[in-house]
Amino acid sequence: MTTTQHEPEQVEAYPEHFEPPHGPTWRLIFGPGLVRGVWVAGLFFVLGMLLVAGLRFWWGWDPVWLWDVILPIAGMVTAPIGFLGGIGAFDYWLHYISGRPTRPEDHSGHGARTWKDYFRVNTDHKVIGIQYLVTTFTFFTIGGLMAMFFRAELAQPGLQFLDSQTFNGLVSAHATLMIFLFIIPAFAGIANFVVPLMLGAPDMAFPRLNALSYWLLPIAGVLFLASFLAPGGSFATGWTGYAPLAEGQPLGQTFFNMGVQWAGASSVMTALNFLVTIITMRAPGMTFWRMPLLVWANFTTSLLVVIATPFIAGSQFFVMFDRIMHTSFFTPEGGGYALGYQHIFWFYSHPAVYIMMLPGFGIVSEVISANARKPIFGYRLMALSLVGILFLGFSVWAHHMFVAGMADWLRVPMMITTLLIAIPTGIKVFSWIATLWRGRIHLTTPMLFALGFVTMFVIGGLSGIYLGSVPIDIAASDTYFIVAHIHYVLFGGSVFTIFAGVYFWFPKMTGRMYDERLGKLHFWLTFVSFNATFFPMHYIGLRGMPRRVFDYDEAFGDLNFVITIASFVLGASFVVFVYNVVQSWVRGPVADANPWRAHSLEWQVSSPPPIFNFDEIPQVVGGPYEYGVPGARHAVMRSGEAAREVQHA
Amino acid sequence: MTSHAEAVHGGHEHHGPPPAHKSSRVDARVLGMLLFIGSEIMLFGSFFTVYFFVRVVNPDAPSEWPPPPYEFPVFVAGINTAILVTSSFTMHWALQSIKRGQRSAFLAGMVITFVMGLAFLLTQVIEYLHVGFNTGDGAFASVFFGLTGLHGAHVAVGLTLLGMVIIRGFRGHFSPEHHHGVELPGIYWHFVDIMWIVVYSTVYLL
Ligand code: HEM
Ligand SMILES: [Cu+2]
Repeated sequence: MTTTQHEPEQVEAYPEHFEPPHGPTWRLIFGPGLVRGVWVAGLFFVLGMLLVAGLRFWWGWDPVWLWDVILPIAGMVTAPIGFLGGIGAFDYWLHYISGRPTRPEDHSGHGARTWKDYFRVNTDHKVIGIQYLVTTFTFFTIGGLMAMFFRAELAQPGLQFLDSQTFNGLVSAHATLMIFLFIIPAFAGIANFVVPLMLGAPDMAFPRLNALSYWLLPIAGVLFLASFLAPGGSFATGWTGYAPLAEGQPLGQTFFNMGVQWAGASSVMTALNFLVTIITMRAPGMTFWRMPLLVWANFTTSLLVVIATPFIAGSQFFVMFDRIMHTSFFTPEGGGYALGYQHIFWFYSHPAVYIMMLPGFGIVSEVISANARKPIFGYRLMALSLVGILFLGFSVWAHHMFVAGMADWLRVPMMITTLLIAIPTGIKVFSWIATLWRGRIHLTTPMLFALGFVTMFVIGGLSGIYLGSVPIDIAASDTYFIVAHIHYVLFGGSVFTIFAGVYFWFPKMTGRMYDERLGKLHFWLTFVSFNATFFPMHYIGLRGMPRRVFDYDEAFGDLNFVITIASFVLGASFVVFVYNVVQSWVRGPVADANPWRAHSLEWQVSSPPPIFNFDEIPQVVGGPYEYGVPGARHAVMRSGEAAREVQHA
Repeated sequence: MTSHAEAVHGGHEHHGPPPAHKSSRVDARVLGMLLFIGSEIMLFGSFFTVYFFVRVVNPDAPSEWPPPPYEFPVFVAGINTAILVTSSFTMHWALQSIKRGQRSAFLAGMVITFVMGLAFLLTQVIEYLHVGFNTGDGAFASVFFGLTGLHGAHVAVGLTLLGMVIIRGFRGHFSPEHHHGVELPGIYWHFVDIMWIVVYSTVYLL
């Protein structure tokens, strides 16, 4: 592991301007990069195959050539490792391990000079943040197209053009991509860009680990998508992949088991990095009680990730072992305990819903405070309620299992803790409203999304409280009411905050301003069509339409048709966003350093920020939200002030 | 996009980042390692949880564990435990030696630790071959191979880290002032050892 401070021990004579001794073609093929990534991945795939076959031959197992084992090892372990080595993610460590001289952390991989630099291993947190965001929005698009596809199937009762296994596969891949490749990593992307700047740090604590965590993501995404090519189609057991159902499924399920491992490893590494950065690299004067709430949010989220994610890793390992090594963790015939899967899975996945929500809380706090020109109401309580959610979040997992046949005595305690979470969550909602109260509200696009979030999240939270009550849940579980709930909290909640964050920091990230009119159009289209799509689901759910079905009762036909039309409008509204972002990034008006007149540190440097963020680390002297407080300052920029003057000149 | 950045920051020659402010006395790398170990403990935790489910919660669990005629090689694993625990002490000795500047003691300590770790791993492989049951033989076997295998993977990772220290050590790296590269693998190794004691007592002895 490495830090930005370098160990003099490692600094050995290294040519100042190191020129590789070979020509450009040689470098293209053998130098770190995507080309080397691809062929080394192929090489490692073959090595993995030989390894498995060799071991099976040596032990005399029959058949030697068993794809069910070869593919998980060669295709999902060794080939991805080869890819990572090929693109150069391990170069430094390989040098270090072999005892050869390594470069001191000179940030030579820093910054991006051309667009091609975004396709390389890069250690700059700003580049990595943008890599994350572009990648995750790509998967968002794919996941969204899948949804429109199966929504089209659902427009009428009966089977139209999909078969049942494909339908289930699409639903499962949709949810999996949205959760593991959009919401969780998109938040990591925003935080990657913003958190070090907010802290007054030149980069993350472990820049190379940061680069590695990003590159694990596309691997997970490719695995999930590649499952469609597997014989028998993609994994089709929902994003929850319940055992023992998952254990009798075709090969595609293994792609899910392993994809989750890569995505999980990526989020654990990033979370470690955030925690260490926040603890050890705050600017002088930046006490915990002066950190912006976005930093608080990522601090608590990262703790959740580090503690909870290993449980989903475990659960998927067990299923995979049951599938290919014939163990019986969850198969009753062999003495396994089937319900155990759900306990272990939800012990991660309930905290995961907060992993998908807390960073959004942070973004919204920044946006609302800056756009209402008022200090955030109850700053300390806002931070403490995050910590409260962190602890309570671990004590409610079994509310997903009220109808699963688990021990009866667990129900009421889980119901109580579930309802208790509404308290810290409520505190946050009321604080945002109090912040807005008598503020000078600027209805910019990020602000619209933040306000849209608050309203939609209240609806989602309320249906959550219904579901947290055992008697209601028993009636509503496994119906479209759940689908409505999760989309109000995840789309109206998390996704709205991601949009708010992207619009809010767009000028900082790109140095250009997005088109405000298109932004507002995007918001209103999304807001209206979102509600038109998901609100009726509450109703059809309570009327008894089960979730995850490709066929349903005639009586629900009309509403489902309306929902499908609305969902197409929702899909179309995303096109407005993409158009706005792309064309503004290319030729939007040049943005100010601080278009929102916000106080936190990232706005005190140029847009986009200088390569090392700060010429000198600033001195923090006050809270980050002192809008309208006479004489209040968050930080004194040392020579950073100069950068601002250049801007205004 | 970047050309714009250069326009603003033209003129400035950046030679490197400003040194980050150290806002905590804890060393970043040690903290990172400790958090990582926290995450690892949770991973083991999930394996212990599934063990708890199949053996305690499961109403159909066999009354004898492992169900006869199967047996766990408690004795061999006990010797293995002794080896691994000893290696923690030699690791500590190696670290103390480099802190005091005693190179040869440091190198000797590292090599002994490595050899003991390797002996542990090889013993485990042999144990697998002779244990008399396979992964498909029931939940007790799943748990046995799951926990010992997970731990074995950690030993392998630990050995890689130790091997790295040894290579660098023989190339003349590390000194009383700079021994982080020894300390971090050391912390990890101690974690692997302590975890083994927990695995051994729950899987073999309980
Ligand atoms: C006051 C807050 C909340 C409460 C009380 C609550 C309660 C519940 C309950 C009881 C269920 C289980 C329903 C069932 O399957 O029968 C559920 C499902 C779910 N909730 Fe929430 N929830 C809350 C907030 C959230 C948030 C903030 C998110 C995500 C950002 C979220 C995401 C989900 C998801 C994804 C599911 C469905 C899981 C599945 O696929 O089965 N919830 N919620
Ligand atoms: Cu939950």
